[in-house]
Amino acid sequence: MSENIKFSPWLDSSQKPYIQIQNVTKRFGEFTAIDNLTLDIYKNEFFSLLGPSGCGKTTLLRMLAGFEKITDGKILVDGEDISEIPPHLRPINMMFQSYALFPHMTVEKNIAFGLKQDNLPTNEINQRVEEMLELVELTDFANRKPNQLSGGQSQRVALARSLAKRPKLLLLDEPLGALDKRLREQTQFELMDIQEKLEVTFVIVTHDQEEAMTVSSRIGVMDSGNLVQVATPTEIYEAPINKDVADFIGDVNILKGIYKGQNEVGTQLFSEDSNSIVFATQEVGASVEDEMWFAIRPEKLEISKVAPSHDHNILKGTIEDIAYGGSFSTYHVKLDNGRILKAIRANRERTKEHHLTWDDEVYLQWAPHSAVVLLS
Amino acid sequence: MQTNPNFFKSIFNGRNAVIAIPYIWLLLLFLLPFIYVLKISFAETIYARPPYSSLLIWGDSWLPSIKASFDNYLFLFSDSLYIKAYLSSLKIAFISTILTLIIGYSIAYSVARAPTRWRGILLMLVILPFWTSFLIRVYAWIGILKTEGLLNLALMSIGIIEKPLMIMNTDLAVYIGIVYSYLPFMILPLYANLEKMDMSLLEAAADLGCRPFKTFWTVTVPLSLSGIIAGCFLVFIPVMGEFVIPDLLGGSETLMIGKVLWTEFFYNRDWPVASAVAILLLAILVVPIMLYQRSQEKAIS
Repeated sequence: MSENIKFSPWLDSSQKPYIQIQNVTKRFGEFTAIDNLTLDIYKNEFFSLLGPSGCGKTTLLRMLAGFEKITDGKILVDGEDISEIPPHLRPINMMFQSYALFPHMTVEKNIAFGLKQDNLPTNEINQRVEEMLELVELTDFANRKPNQLSGGQSQRVALARSLAKRPKLLLLDEPLGALDKRLREQTQFELMDIQEKLEVTFVIVTHDQEEAMTVSSRIGVMDSGNLVQVATPTEIYEAPINKDVADFIGDVNILKGIYKGQNEVGTQLFSEDSNSIVFATQEVGASVEDEMWFAIRPEKLEISKVAPSHDHNILKGTIEDIAYGGSFSTYHVKLDNGRILKAIRANRERTKEHHLTWDDEVYLQWAPHSAVVLLS
Repeated sequence: MQTNPNFFKSIFNGRNAVIAIPYIWLLLLFLLPFIYVLKISFAETIYARPPYSSLLIWGDSWLPSIKASFDNYLFLFSDSLYIKAYLSSLKIAFISTILTLIIGYSIAYSVARAPTRWRGILLMLVILPFWTSFLIRVYAWIGILKTEGLLNLALMSIGIIEKPLMIMNTDLAVYIGIVYSYLPFMILPLYANLEKMDMSLLEAAADLGCRPFKTFWTVTVPLSLSGIIAGCFLVFIPVMGEFVIPDLLGGSETLMIGKVLWTEFFYNRDWPVASAVAILLLAILVVPIMLYQRSQEKAIS
């Protein structure tokens, strides 16, 4: 996203974070769901908490909403400690994974519910409900009951209801989980539009890494109750800090390397897979003979039948499998030692053959800046 | 005329036989007795066995003449005792339904919100009294409520009261007995309803700024309405005709139609008037029964 280049308050030390999660721990009996977690989120961010199920992302969201009591630490919103404030007094709204629409109320009444709690005058409530219905394009469905709505419509009502009070912070718990792929992609863009238009800070919980990549200003990758990496989608994808993050976000080939020192190209690693030295531009602080890994995304592996003219960063193998994906093809290449690597090539020419086929002997090569060196 | 053997086969197939069981049951155990009582209610009292006149008089013509009278019904309206008894029954049934609802709702709510492993045990405790005969449980209340009963002894021994409370043989004793006896009928449908309620709705209400007390009235109660209606009818309808509890715990001034019916039947041996009382009671109850049916159908759809 282009605006992300401009929008990066986390790099600006004069900016004050809007949400400050400070050394928060949450225990359920013996089980530690969140382990001493610290995180700053800035105004107007679209922040994703991403991780496998059971990593504590939903617990963290529920603590922001006030449904779970913090065992230790505190959460500040706009400088104010909200840890002890009950959910109904927090200036935060949440969109539930199950949508949690009130089944006995019409769409209109569902959206008006939060506004009524603030005792706003009736005409203001009506006007606000109208606005929200327009925003989510459900004006014609105002008098329907939730059981008369499709999944996508319910999702919109839930969004409208959580936005009706104009919260400064909106929490979204797997908001698109129940939608089919097409609708999900469409809704992702709508969410981004709405977020920009209303200038609300969004914190979204998801296990769908593609979704997180698409919508987020930053992603916090979580694992067993803590943050592993907090960075922009591009950084997470291109510069993951460890094998787990690299593996969790997108497809990746992870190869072992033995550190052999630096030279003018960069880091030199000995790879057992190619039985030669490979180069990576990234510099690492390590001592000779240290074991480490280098990760190459499939689209950064160039696949060809012709032997390259240079002699480094090359792996040789045979095509084991081809997954034709229309716009691109994924090749599973079996190295001589039996390891299988993935390489992706865009199908730029309209031919049936694409030149490469099963059992072809191929060379995989990559530029030294394309691989990321991982110490753990 | 030739009968098709398949005709009988098609009537007495397994499917029809299964469907027939409830119909035969209702026919034998509801409709026939009902017609019998209805018939008696149009007859006159006579000293005979059975103690009522026949409706069909076989005279000279080959068709019997019908001798039915509405006198018994007119009599119910001419003597204020019956009207008073109906109204008093309605009042007692109404008040005790409300009391049962308030107590039953709080019990059902706390059971439904209890940790899952406790729910079965708590529900068991609600049903447990059914293991003892209804009559014995009502008798037990006499021991608790009478002047020198357990309640008065306990209250006097800890010094809350000096003179024993006169609860036995009053309307209060009847209310206590009814609420106690009918509580499970209120709790079970309410529990079934509250237990399956989506807790995230309560969280959503809180999230939108609704205080817990208001959430209860705007979300929990409306969503448990079908349970409330079911429980209320399950209590109201049988309490209307209740006889044992007012007879054992109530005083001479406790007027309920069930007691009147019993008196007519056993003391006065006036079967026709007793039948008319029963038929009129049924007519009064048909309205709430139909309302109950409709709410159940609505709940299903």
